[in-house]
Amino acid sequence: MSGHAPVLSSVRAEPQEPAPPAAVAPSGPRARSRWWTVLWNCVSLAVALVVWQIGAAEYHSPYLPGPAAIYEAFIDLARHGDVLGNSLWSHIWASVYRLLVGFGLGVVFGVPLGLLMGLYNSVYRNVRAVIEPFRFIPPIAWIPLAIILFTGLTRYAFLIFLGAFFPVFTATLIGVARVEPIHRKVALVYGATKAYVLARIVVPTVLPDILGGMRVGLGTAWMTIVAAELTGGTPIGLGRMMVNYSELLRIPEVVVSMVLIGLIGFVLNEILLLLEKYLFRWRWQVTL
Amino acid sequence: MMATLPRPRDAAAREVKVDVDIAHSFGALCVHDGLQFAVRENEFLCLCGPSGCGKTTLLDILAGLLKPTRGRVLVHGEPVDPKRHNISFVFQEPSTLPWLTVRNNVAVGLRIKKRPEAEVRRVVDDILGVVNLRGYEDYYPHQISGGMKQRVAIARAFATDADVILMDEPFVSLDQPTRERMQAEVLSIWERKKGTIIFVTHNLEEAVFLGDRTIVLSAKPARILADVPITLPRPRNTLSPEFMRLRTQFASLLNSALPSRSGR
Repeated sequence: MSGHAPVLSSVRAEPQEPAPPAAVAPSGPRARSRWWTVLWNCVSLAVALVVWQIGAAEYHSPYLPGPAAIYEAFIDLARHGDVLGNSLWSHIWASVYRLLVGFGLGVVFGVPLGLLMGLYNSVYRNVRAVIEPFRFIPPIAWIPLAIILFTGLTRYAFLIFLGAFFPVFTATLIGVARVEPIHRKVALVYGATKAYVLARIVVPTVLPDILGGMRVGLGTAWMTIVAAELTGGTPIGLGRMMVNYSELLRIPEVVVSMVLIGLIGFVLNEILLLLEKYLFRWRWQVTL
Repeated sequence: MMATLPRPRDAAAREVKVDVDIAHSFGALCVHDGLQFAVRENEFLCLCGPSGCGKTTLLDILAGLLKPTRGRVLVHGEPVDPKRHNISFVFQEPSTLPWLTVRNNVAVGLRIKKRPEAEVRRVVDDILGVVNLRGYEDYYPHQISGGMKQRVAIARAFATDADVILMDEPFVSLDQPTRERMQAEVLSIWERKKGTIIFVTHNLEEAVFLGDRTIVLSAKPARILADVPITLPRPRNTLSPEFMRLRTQFASLLNSALPSRSGR
């Protein structure tokens, strides 16, 4: 130790901290167990598909297509588009685009409002009666009104916004209450301004809650968009495509739409999870 | 009682750094009943009192975070203000910010004070060596032990060249060996980096071991029972007769003051 700081070299002999472990990123047993998890997921997925295929072959009914039939329908849709001439990608993109707009709006309004009402709790307490009842109206229950009031992107963005806003807003609001008074005090003792406390103490504390709220909001928003598309009003979107094919009694294409809805939701959620893992290294990283 | 200067070598040079004259109540509850004392430059003052005598409130007032009901706290002759003065605070509970690495935790005060980044880097490197945390710069608080976290907090306090460093029972949650090591460590940092310290504890032995001077407070409403310079040579031997005598003297003072509780 004395070698590091010549000015302060008169240090008593004292127990030293153990040398810091070299690697911080998980490796070794942890990484290995992660590969096993991936492997087991692949195995269970394969088993489920095989059971499904065998069952479908056994029944041999057009109403119970197996994975192979669904794969064929997917390839056909991807190559040639649907019966109306819209490509599969335009359906997917239409739904995802609506989701991103509505969800983005939900975050843009939910986070600042949640922060504001969390920091100035009296504001929230005094307007609770206005805000809270809206929380319990399911976004789907807004669909009839939205059909009358809005068209096109506005309608979907509005419905998805309703689905995304409350999870994000509530998570932020609750997160602010969790800011440790001692952390605020650390900054205030050094003469920090309100803006500093907000940006450097409150936001870092609340960010994990915001991300958690975003994942919940994303789920709600994605379910809302599909439900909204089912009700019609637009020729395009995954929900619409599903309805079109169900009217033609073409089950494989209906199932393709369902699987795509599930997969896209899954992928979007995984992206948020990765973001969480990256942003909150201070929570995840473990010393080995 | 007048504060006598304990260490003759800098007695003449040292001026009053912090001047306190306050009384504080929460509603009808009188917490401090006229506390009056001064702390000199580079003095290590221990405030010692029974649990619940309002020590934490007193520190908040000294830090300028809480306004006393009556009276004032002066630093360098001016009313204390965290934005103007360099105040450092080592808290009783863990106060490292979990989302910052050890290095950035130590730098918090310097960054709030808007010191140039090159200086921040130099000072932080230096102080991390002093508290023996070299090699842990990029660790997050949850990856290091409780004692190390408290050293991060101490490093943060000493990094800003504070006018006064307030310590609120900083070692109370540590086990005995760690605690003793940290006491020695704070003394050695203080001897090297200098600084005016007000150290609050309810542990008389800790007060006698660390302080240039010890103020003993009564239970609520807190009054000053004794203001005693401790001139024992350092490093102090906790088993020496003089040490024992001081400790016993303070203990009997505290005990004799306890009945005053019922007088509220």
